Amino acid sequence: MTGILALGIFLVAFFFIATEKANKVKVVLIAAGAMAVLGLIPGAGVFYSEHAGIDWNVIFLLFGMMIIVGVIKQTGAFDYLGIWAAKKSKGKPFRLMVMLMVITAIASPFLDNVTTIMLIVPVTIVVTSRLRIPPQPYIIAEVLAANIGGAATLIGDPPNIIIGSRAGLTFNDFLVHMAPIVVVIFVAFVFFTRVLFRKSFEYHPEHVANVMALNERRAITNPALLIRSMIVLAGVIVGFALHSVLHVEPSIVALVGAGVMLLVSRTEVTDSLREVEWTTLVFFMGLFVMVAGLVNTGVIEVIGTWVIGAFGDNYFGAATALLFGSGVLGAFFDNIPYVATMAPVVEGLVAEVPDAATGQALWWAFALGADFGGNGTAVAASANVVAIGMAAKSGHHISFWQFTKYGIIVTVLSLIMAWGYVWLRYFS
Amino acid sequence: MTLLEPVNHQDYRDGSMQARDIAVSVPTITVHDSVARAVQVMALGRLPGLIVVDADSRPALVLPGSQVLRLAVPAAYQSDPGLARAVDEDYADTFWLELSHLRVADCLPLKPIAPVTIAADANLLQIAALMARTHSPLVAVVETDGTLLGAVTLEYLLTSLAIAGLEE
Repeated sequence: MTGILALGIFLVAFFFIATEKANKVKVVLIAAGAMAVLGLIPGAGVFYSEHAGIDWNVIFLLFGMMIIVGVIKQTGAFDYLGIWAAKKSKGKPFRLMVMLMVITAIASPFLDNVTTIMLIVPVTIVVTSRLRIPPQPYIIAEVLAANIGGAATLIGDPPNIIIGSRAGLTFNDFLVHMAPIVVVIFVAFVFFTRVLFRKSFEYHPEHVANVMALNERRAITNPALLIRSMIVLAGVIVGFALHSVLHVEPSIVALVGAGVMLLVSRTEVTDSLREVEWTTLVFFMGLFVMVAGLVNTGVIEVIGTWVIGAFGDNYFGAATALLFGSGVLGAFFDNIPYVATMAPVVEGLVAEVPDAATGQALWWAFALGADFGGNGTAVAASANVVAIGMAAKSGHHISFWQFTKYGIIVTVLSLIMAWGYVWLRYFS
Repeated sequence: MTLLEPVNHQDYRDGSMQARDIAVSVPTITVHDSVARAVQVMALGRLPGLIVVDADSRPALVLPGSQVLRLAVPAAYQSDPGLARAVDEDYADTFWLELSHLRVADCLPLKPIAPVTIAADANLLQIAALMARTHSPLVAVVETDGTLLGAVTLEYLLTSLAIAGLEE
């Protein structure tokens, strides 16, 4: 009975979140509050259990990285790179697109996808307006590149942070298992864009001078800050990589890095805290409480038991279902609540696998599906929504279908290649 | 220079002043007007801001001068002010022409903003408090039915306060 009640509250909340009929933070807080009042969550334990409550590792990792990225944003590094790329390409459309995608794909594993998009889209709009070409194809390509690139590391995509914490996977685990296929898919994607966007490429040589007149050096607002912030970011990445040696949780590394960044940047704390996306953090907290309700009332256990029964010891079948299922569901619903909900189910499934390596393969299939599913539709990931919003503000509208017609193709191809990789690496 | 005509000619020495006493007639625009026209109206009228009216001549929005200017700044430079450092001087002098063909409605923020209005019988302190709270150098004065009577500019308000202070 309590399980049905928890599931009912959860599904209603998910409906409102998925359809955006109400503010998602309000929805999760109301749903979490309802579960608390009805006694469906494990009481005060929800604050102390990372597996049956709020996962503070995720919250503080996000918090720390938001502060770090907030300082990096001020340096103008992306503006420099975007203008440099435009000048280097001399306005040739495919060359420009490739350079912008490479910049995005290299940054997104280390800065989150939304921030990467927020940094690259304004300069993209400026250079394309100078070249008198439509920015929409370039913005769409950058979003797709950000979602692909972000899958490579623990911190590149919020679903990876949730999965990493739940499964005990380290930064290096993601580099070793996710980065190889991400690189392959990205390279294939770059070549594919030549075909995908062929009708959108425009070249007006008479306007190239407008771009050449831009001065990318002046875009760097504070060279000293840029150097210091890059050193701190590098230190944080090294801290993640040395987890097995230092035994320091990524959230602690991120918090220490944020503190060092505040010191070296000499930013006012209040200014830095303004860069923190508090609504995102509160959304995560509420979401974790909702999932805790499902765990505590046994709903997750029931689902997990059904899944285990459905696949038995056909672990490749389970991996296939996780990969493609996550890709499809992640495409139509925001992949963050999807991953937060499914993570305990996958954890239960992995616990039944006798072989640790095979168990881990299920996590990778889950992560690949959820991350690449984020490219599926215009609403599948926050980066997509943010990019479309920024484009609209500049008067360059990208409709749902304009994005989705490219996104679906890229997602299907990415999932197929990822499936081949999972089979080849873990089950052949 | 365009002189702003007072709505009500009033001897300031006759006692406490109300908004209707210091309101001036101001040119207005609608959301369907172009950004170029908005900038032009404000510039030629030497106004500290603009009042945007609806089809019934009721104030829909009061834009301080900086927000009128904001209509003309491309969104990319508002999202990323650092980009403005990288542009060449020729573009920096003519950037506003890029958006001048757009309508005011196209450039307004999505979140609706309540218009900065005050009743015609409001006293000077009410006007001053409203201006301070909303950071607006222009306040629309409305009749009881909501129609626009005129506007109080920061300059007129300060002048009125100064004159009233001299009388003390």
